[in-house]
Amino acid sequence: MKVINAVYNFLVGDMIILIGVVITILILALINNVDALAPLRVATGAILILAVLGVLGATLNREARAKR
Amino acid sequence: MQWAVATAAFLASVVEFVEAFTIVLVVGVTINWRSSLAGAFAAAATLALIIATFGVALVQFVPINVLRLVVGVILILFGLKWLKKAILRYSGLKALHDEEAIFEETQAELRARGEKITPRFEPFGIAMAYKAVLLEGLEVAFIVITFGSSVASSGTARSLGITSAAIGAVIAGVLVILLGVLVRAPLKRIPENTLKFVVGIMLTAFGTFWAGEGIRIATNGTHFEWPYADLSIIFLAALYLLASYVLVTWLKRTKQHTVTSSSTEGGVQAIKEEVIS
Repeated sequence: MKVINAVYNFLVGDMIILIGVVITILILALINNVDALAPLRVATGAILILAVLGVLGATLNREARAKR
Repeated sequence: MQWAVATAAFLASVVEFVEAFTIVLVVGVTINWRSSLAGAFAAAATLALIIATFGVALVQFVPINVLRLVVGVILILFGLKWLKKAILRYSGLKALHDEEAIFEETQAELRARGEKITPRFEPFGIAMAYKAVLLEGLEVAFIVITFGSSVASSGTARSLGITSAAIGAVIAGVLVILLGVLVRAPLKRIPENTLKFVVGIMLTAFGTFWAGEGIRIATNGTHFEWPYADLSIIFLAALYLLASYVLVTWLKRTKQHTVTSSSTEGGVQAIKEEVIS
């Protein structure tokens, strides 16, 4: 448990960032591998950028709320 | 030489080496320089071994698309972590990193333990310097390996990428040590937050690009490609820069609003108390 915690803290140390990025990659993997979702492949870049910005905004929002 | 990779590794290394240097300096001043430098050099050798071993393994055995996806995700995680810290510091929600305070705190800790200046090797001093340099340098080693190994598609070019990143990190290390020797005090004038912010933007932009490139691993037929190929990295960096500016402004306003409303509440409370009395 200590090792997992150390790796988590070393890599990211923030649950919102970790979960947000993992979910985004899973969604993009689905879009790029399921034929029915092929029309969405062209939007892969836009989805990735929006998700990264969304995750950053969400984690900063949590920090701002915690300070209030 | 791949300049983008070398620059990113250089900037990231400066931040981490300044932090490690503070601890090495404390051990040198409080215990002795022999133990401090022995610990620091041992950690540097360990880091070089890690980069050489993992770097070669990645270059030789992992397919480029798998590597780009994994590295892309890791760089996004690292980048967002650095960017978040830098934005919080710029907006005033988190205190700026104070090397002088860390220096004094660690020195007081060592003195409380009864550590004194001695001429011989002190195991505790060696261990402390080793741990500081290894822990701070590990993140740099990770950036050097991941960044360097995924910039090119061929094995030779990937080796060149890791070498470029390692050169950037070594130059940063030498520069920080030289500055430290000249100043002989904690390096507090280095704009750590700005460096952290720039590296955060670079890591997130490169990470987004490579994750997008790598996502096509198992795709047959049509697959996603970034418009204007490598040039889109510049667009991504500009976009993240703009978004960060907006976020800093928003956080500053939120902080100001909180301060104003709490002082207004305090004022109302004071008036009420005065009326009652």
